[in-house]
Amino acid sequence: VTWALKGKYAIVGYGETKVDRDRHGKLSIEQYLVKAARLALQSCGLTKKDFDGQGIGLMEPQVVHPMWSAHIIQDLGLHPRVVLRSDHGGAGPGYLLEQAAASIHAGLVDKVLCVGADAPLTYAPQTMAQRLVLDFMRPFGMMGPNSLFGLVAQRYIHLYGVKAEQVAKIPVTQRYHATLNPIAYFDRAITTEDYVNSRVITDPIRLLDCCLPVNGGLAFVVTSAERAMDMTDRPVFLLGSGACFNYRHGDNLAPDVTYMGTVKAGKEAFERAGISQVSDASFVQLYDDYSYAVMIQLEDLGFCKKGEAGNFLEETDISFAGKLPINTGGGQLSSGQAGMAGGFHFMVEAVRQLRQEGDQRQIEGANIGVVSLIGAITQYAGNLINSHVSILGREVA
Amino acid sequence: LDALNESLPVPTPTVLTQGFWESAKKGKLVFQYCSKCNTLQAYPKPWCSECGSEELSWKEMSGEGTVYSFTIPRQVVDNSLAFKDKLPFIIAVIELKEGPKFISNIIDLPPDNVRIGMKVRVTFEEFREEIVLPTFRPCKGNSRSEMANVVDR
Repeated sequence: VTWALKGKYAIVGYGETKVDRDRHGKLSIEQYLVKAARLALQSCGLTKKDFDGQGIGLMEPQVVHPMWSAHIIQDLGLHPRVVLRSDHGGAGPGYLLEQAAASIHAGLVDKVLCVGADAPLTYAPQTMAQRLVLDFMRPFGMMGPNSLFGLVAQRYIHLYGVKAEQVAKIPVTQRYHATLNPIAYFDRAITTEDYVNSRVITDPIRLLDCCLPVNGGLAFVVTSAERAMDMTDRPVFLLGSGACFNYRHGDNLAPDVTYMGTVKAGKEAFERAGISQVSDASFVQLYDDYSYAVMIQLEDLGFCKKGEAGNFLEETDISFAGKLPINTGGGQLSSGQAGMAGGFHFMVEAVRQLRQEGDQRQIEGANIGVVSLIGAITQYAGNLINSHVSILGREVA
Repeated sequence: LDALNESLPVPTPTVLTQGFWESAKKGKLVFQYCSKCNTLQAYPKPWCSECGSEELSWKEMSGEGTVYSFTIPRQVVDNSLAFKDKLPFIIAVIELKEGPKFISNIIDLPPDNVRIGMKVRVTFEEFREEIVLPTFRPCKGNSRSEMANVVDR
């Protein structure tokens, strides 16, 4: 059975702001959001007014605001008919894209502007802690995602053995991509030795395994395939979409934390798109809060067997010119993680590649892209709570 | 804010979690037990996360387990400045004999001597403000060389 949404909805515009690590907040979250929205609207010839009575999809930033969408609607003077809000962390943009397409499919609106912005360097990390973390994690010295991913990575190494030189391929290649991306935060290449010698933050996580928090904003515009041609001659179609929430109860049973919900989300997305991941994907964009997350997703999506990502990386050119390009924009390791909007980086880079707008890092003949996102590492429970996979294509089928 | 970041994070028992903290004070590690489907859950939840039953009670664990994974913080970050003096230390996921997994510290062991699979047993440490934390230390079942550097109590 063909998925009802397959090829019927498209991303027609996108925007990504410059990022910074300013701790004094020269710009507010709302200002980054506006800049990202403007870039996305300009890229498809639309204005703010074109979204009166239409949809807006908002990513929730790290600062707690019980009515974030109302605040943004008022602050930006919007008149939307549908307001989507995502608090799915890294998986947010995949979820927003799916919900935007579903809202148009249901006839509620014709188009949706999805936008995310955050300025995590400008406020205290306390604002994002939940009761469970405060009571049962912090007293033992747990320091957020670094500690949680340290626990995942140590188990991974224990079970499968992976050499630091193999893991290095991810940060080294992504940094190379960042040197070809004018808006990436880092612009100087690194070597395998730099990775191996980078200091250990929390065993076995090295400094160069960690993504880089930045302030910034990103956005994309979704509409129907019929309307898409009025806005751009390079629409990027949604071919498949898969999601998995609350994968396993880590504290009840004994799940293997070297798997994520990406196994299930990927299977669903590929089935809906009607493609075989290994042979048909031109590239993959994999959420990289840590190098090890990239390895686990490669395995979960079927690009190699569980535990074999190290060897796969050693044997495979993952640069934009290689056999399986990964994170061609530099990823969050090198381009930066705009707080809760970090996942947008992968969606936007996939769209850019499929529109053949990757300039110096353009993948030749990019036809089908896989965007795999993960989010919400609040608790050590089957890794992350939210997994989302989108399959995007330059053509409808 | 710096003062907030530099003070140790102290758990605040709630109606949901006070049974756990009261038991810890008496030297017992208790998890929620579902009498409908026999599920044990390490972190207190509003219902059984398997079957949805609210018939939950506290069940004492043996306190025996193995190290499932670990990490050793070598530096603190903004949210954990209070732990600077403790560096380096061991954070571990303990897989209890009964099944559930629980994040805690391993004490009385030089950090670089920890390994996955190590046998550990619960012990209880005064934290602050009436809070006692269940932590773990290596116990019998490990090889002689693994026990060589364990600090006596």
